[in-house]
Amino acid sequence: MTDDAADVRRVLNGDVDAYAALVDRYYDQCARYAVRMLGNRDDAEDALQATFLRAYRALGRYQERDKFSAWLYRILVNQCRSLAARRSQRERVFVREEAVLLNATDEHQVVWPGEDEEFVQRVLSDLDPLLREAFVLKYIEEMSYEEMAALTGVGVSALKMRVKRAADRLRERWERNKHD
Amino acid sequence: MTESARDPYIEWIARQGRRQVELSSDARARVMDAVRAAPLPVRPRRGLGWLTTPRPLTLSPLASSLLAAGLVGLGVIGGLGVTHRDGRTPAGQPAAVAADPQLPVHDSLQVHRFELAAPGAVGVSLVGDFNAWNASATPMTRSADGKAWTVTVQLPAGRHVYAFVVDGAQGGSQWVPDPAALRAPDDGFGTPNSVVLVGQRGTT
Repeated sequence: MTDDAADVRRVLNGDVDAYAALVDRYYDQCARYAVRMLGNRDDAEDALQATFLRAYRALGRYQERDKFSAWLYRILVNQCRSLAARRSQRERVFVREEAVLLNATDEHQVVWPGEDEEFVQRVLSDLDPLLREAFVLKYIEEMSYEEMAALTGVGVSALKMRVKRAADRLRERWERNKHD
Repeated sequence: MTESARDPYIEWIARQGRRQVELSSDARARVMDAVRAAPLPVRPRRGLGWLTTPRPLTLSPLASSLLAAGLVGLGVIGGLGVTHRDGRTPAGQPAAVAADPQLPVHDSLQVHRFELAAPGAVGVSLVGDFNAWNASATPMTRSADGKAWTVTVQLPAGRHVYAFVVDGAQGGSQWVPDPAALRAPDDGFGTPNSVVLVGQRGTT
């Protein structure tokens, strides 16, 4: 039995603290995905809270034959999709970036530790959400197309197309920047 | 070798993107606070597990016919409960769904059919407070003429806020309200939603 399966059983037997082990094991990876997808930390924290809580409530329906990480990730992907659509994420990112530029000395507004990361977050946020999702899963989370298809419910060929378009858009932006 | 390794710029973005992010120091603790405040998850009972486990079903031609007839009957009964998205009667009179005493009101759930004209879309899904705004939970089906997308769902009585997520041919998706329905008050997120009333007398 894997660590995950053992922890799930302990939780289902009433040991709530066993869930903390699962949260610790996957929190950082989920946080990275949520930030890259949603573009800001407040939304990412909301998505993580909702994901782990939803997974906890649904733990009785988790089947041990499935990988816990894949099951959890599926919930996370859906949470991020819903939040991105619901919160008109592009506008929020734009407003936040404007605030960073205008008030960079305010420590509460400086959300990214480095220029490179800030730049990467901005170019990712400029991508359409579906293209961004495919790009992040492929290039940042380094999943296979088969894993991505199982996670998103989207076919492999459509995912390949989205990843290619995302990469094309990023290159276009890079070329534009070089000539500006 | 990953595909990105062939493109230095894409690889650089991917490398930066893989760096770990720092969230609020208490964010993780808040997750566990919320978990401890929630009821313990329960294992599904064996009986329910048997009912919900997919398994092949073999039917004789006669049994198949009877089953099909039964399903058609259920569809007819369910269809009587279908309302327009905006709560209007077929005659166009504004009225909440259950204000019409001719429409059956079931104990808890009623069948509703949602429809959106989006001939250029490659996919449309229904999101709302009834499916936790999950864009992949309720995909809609393209109509035979290819112009509209429909889905039929069961909703509990009450007021429900919803919208459609339309996937365009260029890979983009757009959050749109139902043009034929009542509009929900602005939720402050900049994306207008629609309202459907189910099984309640009165109006919004």
